[in-house]
Amino acid sequence: MSERPSPLRVVVLGGGTAGWMSACALAKLLGPLVTVTLVESEDIGIVGVGEATLPHIRGFVERLGIDEAAFMQATHATYKLGIDFQDFGRIGESYVHPFGTFGEEVAGVPFHHYWLELQRLGLAEPIGHYSLAVTAALAGKFRPPTTDGTLNSTYGYAYQFDATLFGPFLREHGKTLGVDRIEGKVVEVRQDPESGDVTALELESGQEIAGDLFVDCSGFRSLLLGTTLGEEWEDWSGWLPCDRAAALPCSHVSEEITPFTAAIAMPAGWRWRIPLQHRMGNGYVFASQFLSEDEACAAIVGAVDGKPLADPRVLRFRAGRRKASWQKNVIAVGLSSGFLEPLESTSIYLSQMAITYLIELFPIGGPIDPRDRDEFNRLVDMEYDRVRDFLILHFHATTRDDSEFWNHVRTMAVPDTLAEKMALWREAGRVEKYSDGLFYDASWIAVYLGQGVWPERHDARVRLPDPEQVARAMAALRNAIVAEVGAMPGHREFLTANERRLAMQS
Amino acid sequence: MSEPRELPQRIVVFGDGPLGVLAAVALRRALPRTEVVVIAIPPDPAAFAERFGTALPFTNRFHDRLGIEEEDLVRQAGASHRLVTRYFGGNGPAWQRAAGYGAAIDPAMKTAFAREWGGGPRNAETGAPPRSLGEVLAAAGRFAPPSGEADSPLAEVDYALRWNVPAYRAHLIGIAETLGVQHERRAVLSVVPDSDGGIAALAIDGGGELAADLFIDCSGSGAMLLSKMPGARWVDWGGQIPSRAVLMGLSGEGILALEDRATWTPLGWRWELGGRDGRLAVLALAGEADGAAMRAALGAEPSALVPFAPGRAEAPWLGNVVALGDAAAQLEPLGGIAQDLAHRQLALLLELLPGRTVDPAERAEFNRRASMMADRACDWLAAHYAAPVAVARFPGLVCSAELDRTLDQFGRRGRVPFSEDAPMLVQEFGALLQALGRPQGEGPLALAGDGSDEHLARAFEARAAAAVNAAPPYGEWMRQTMAG
Repeated sequence: MSERPSPLRVVVLGGGTAGWMSACALAKLLGPLVTVTLVESEDIGIVGVGEATLPHIRGFVERLGIDEAAFMQATHATYKLGIDFQDFGRIGESYVHPFGTFGEEVAGVPFHHYWLELQRLGLAEPIGHYSLAVTAALAGKFRPPTTDGTLNSTYGYAYQFDATLFGPFLREHGKTLGVDRIEGKVVEVRQDPESGDVTALELESGQEIAGDLFVDCSGFRSLLLGTTLGEEWEDWSGWLPCDRAAALPCSHVSEEITPFTAAIAMPAGWRWRIPLQHRMGNGYVFASQFLSEDEACAAIVGAVDGKPLADPRVLRFRAGRRKASWQKNVIAVGLSSGFLEPLESTSIYLSQMAITYLIELFPIGGPIDPRDRDEFNRLVDMEYDRVRDFLILHFHATTRDDSEFWNHVRTMAVPDTLAEKMALWREAGRVEKYSDGLFYDASWIAVYLGQGVWPERHDARVRLPDPEQVARAMAALRNAIVAEVGAMPGHREFLTANERRLAMQS
Repeated sequence: MSEPRELPQRIVVFGDGPLGVLAAVALRRALPRTEVVVIAIPPDPAAFAERFGTALPFTNRFHDRLGIEEEDLVRQAGASHRLVTRYFGGNGPAWQRAAGYGAAIDPAMKTAFAREWGGGPRNAETGAPPRSLGEVLAAAGRFAPPSGEADSPLAEVDYALRWNVPAYRAHLIGIAETLGVQHERRAVLSVVPDSDGGIAALAIDGGGELAADLFIDCSGSGAMLLSKMPGARWVDWGGQIPSRAVLMGLSGEGILALEDRATWTPLGWRWELGGRDGRLAVLALAGEADGAAMRAALGAEPSALVPFAPGRAEAPWLGNVVALGDAAAQLEPLGGIAQDLAHRQLALLLELLPGRTVDPAERAEFNRRASMMADRACDWLAAHYAAPVAVARFPGLVCSAELDRTLDQFGRRGRVPFSEDAPMLVQEFGALLQALGRPQGEGPLALAGDGSDEHLARAFEARAAAAVNAAPPYGEWMRQTMAG
């Protein structure tokens, strides 16, 4: 049996979603290797706009030993099968980016090549019709997928929830895991004069919180990594100019709760619509260089369907990330590390990803090995950069010329990494392959085709089978999907079937 | 509106060794209306990717896709199954440990096993307990390929195949003939270039010109087509891999074994392939050595000594010429890695199969991924020279950034970082490093130990017992299969 080193003192700064996710995960998974103290202040608000998630969150919740129903009840969660994008490629057009696939590869050729061929011949329905996730989402149906390799296993799901409730829920859970919560505002950060490592946080009360490792979850302020250590910021606002959000919760207007998030393009950005159990989250993400805050607030009030439950709240941010997210003994998780607008619901994923890598590369026995720090930064950068390219595509792949904002994003030069991916798609209908990180083939295909980026050519092998026969096979797939979706319960029906999932109506 | 590309009218495969014939089968299956012509060339002794009859688990699935039945290979090509490779001497003369396939054991669990089951210091010299189902089955001499039922106790056992090379080639030729692949036996006199930096046609002795849309270079280490392309360059792996020659010899009668062996000798790694038709010993040499020393290290009468230069084409696809196998990358054939790489690159070509004309973005994507595949295969091989004994023998070898990271992370934390397009799962790479006697650290999750170690060990024991129960003695299975 190996010697277990004495516990490392981990101090998490910030009690928002990232802070409590970090504290809970470290305490739960590293148990005897750590003591976890979380410093938060009731006076400092949390951002908490991340209301929609990706399927990865399910593994996180499960790993922490949290019951799904209890979690859904506490956060007013609903189920999510994907995102409905409206007016991005062209006003009046929409598509669903599903947590799922489109059709199946046949004879080594991906489905979308056959679809492109049938489309050319006028024999195809919209590509979303060949996705169970898309069809179920648009029909307002939900049932958890199976794992048996059948059609019912071709999708995944995530949640839409109230992010301001997720932190507090995890706080309660964190207490059971032995996380020590300290209320207070940091007034000074103490550093070792030689190494520059952070040694302690001094609170307003005079209390000093010493630690070996500091997890900076202080949000946009990035108090430890940004302010104290001065880690450089890599600015992506040239590609992703949105830097404000006007958030506005509303009442529901319809009986059914859509099992998907909507992202609707606007003249200077886009707005989200996220259905929770008892209300609808709304917000206008916009670029302040093209629209004032007052104009944006007026626009979101005018755009929403339900009755506003509060006045619009404006949040400010900028797209980019710190050059390194782990510097000295400070690891930034969440907004203090970087920010990408919530267009693809990646905020909570990016926190979860950083926490996962932190645990994998957690310093054993005390001193931080610079190679582990480099490895963490390599992985975190790779994830951020891949998501960044995917988000830029949503803006760049457009024919919209109805506003300065869209003219800017349509005509801007994109990163080389994205330009190469788009060239491969345009020339040959192929998607650059990677298996690490987020967003694989189906996601890229959904956005390319959904936003009118058509390849010039597709695979020659689609000429081999008789088109009528392919059309019949596709029709059979479509029929199977329609039958499966027909047998699924409605989203509300499934959600409310287990009352342990349901929050008390306030 | 997207238009379908035109189907290639003719593809020429240059080289009719097993790899060339396999490529022809794969292409003709993918493009049944395209003429596929295989050109006979004299075999290249340094075509390591095809002259040794074994690969890795990927090839089994690839064969399946191409309609090459494993049962036929067993019946007609002397095929047998390898569940593990046992490494001897990686960390001193008495060191031995087996490395298997599959993802059934995750690295965190492995460290737990090492603790719970290893019963002693990490450098325990013998008798390390089995840590994979494949190893348990190999030790029991029992196995039958899983029949595809998900709940079979053997379902998670992965394996590699070995076969008799001439019989394998003959079997592939049979399939190729059924598919209508053409065989051109006359010699190629010269290459007729096209205007796009590719090849328009090959001039055939007494037969005019053979034009094609795409040329597949399966000519072996000479890369006889690729090397003629403008811009052909070679990336040298000589700093990472010390071997410059391969010595081989067939010894003794056939054997029915579920295990192959790799042994550290004073001259380098010797690898023994236990075929049903004989035992092949292969020794990778850093340079010339005394004849008696070579014979002793090989443990068999040498039949051939083949020099080679480890490296890869900078871009294996230039113009309309795609190089596969040794024409694209030269690796010593240890454990089937060279053939595995050739098959994975062929599968990549099928994925990115061009139409009549080649698309530059598609070609760039092929080259990007094929190069990553080759570099990771090189890393896998280079890891063998990172075994403690090998480091002492060949100091000064360099590692790629990826291998360096892997060795460091494994050594300090028991972690194997993921690499795109690697030939091995991270679990398999971890098992290899263990078998080579590399020091292994423990990760925080293993150290934190949630009390599940004992439970996991018991669960493994139960699965192992069920697997042994479900599998017949391998010899019995083989007799029945051959009789049936």
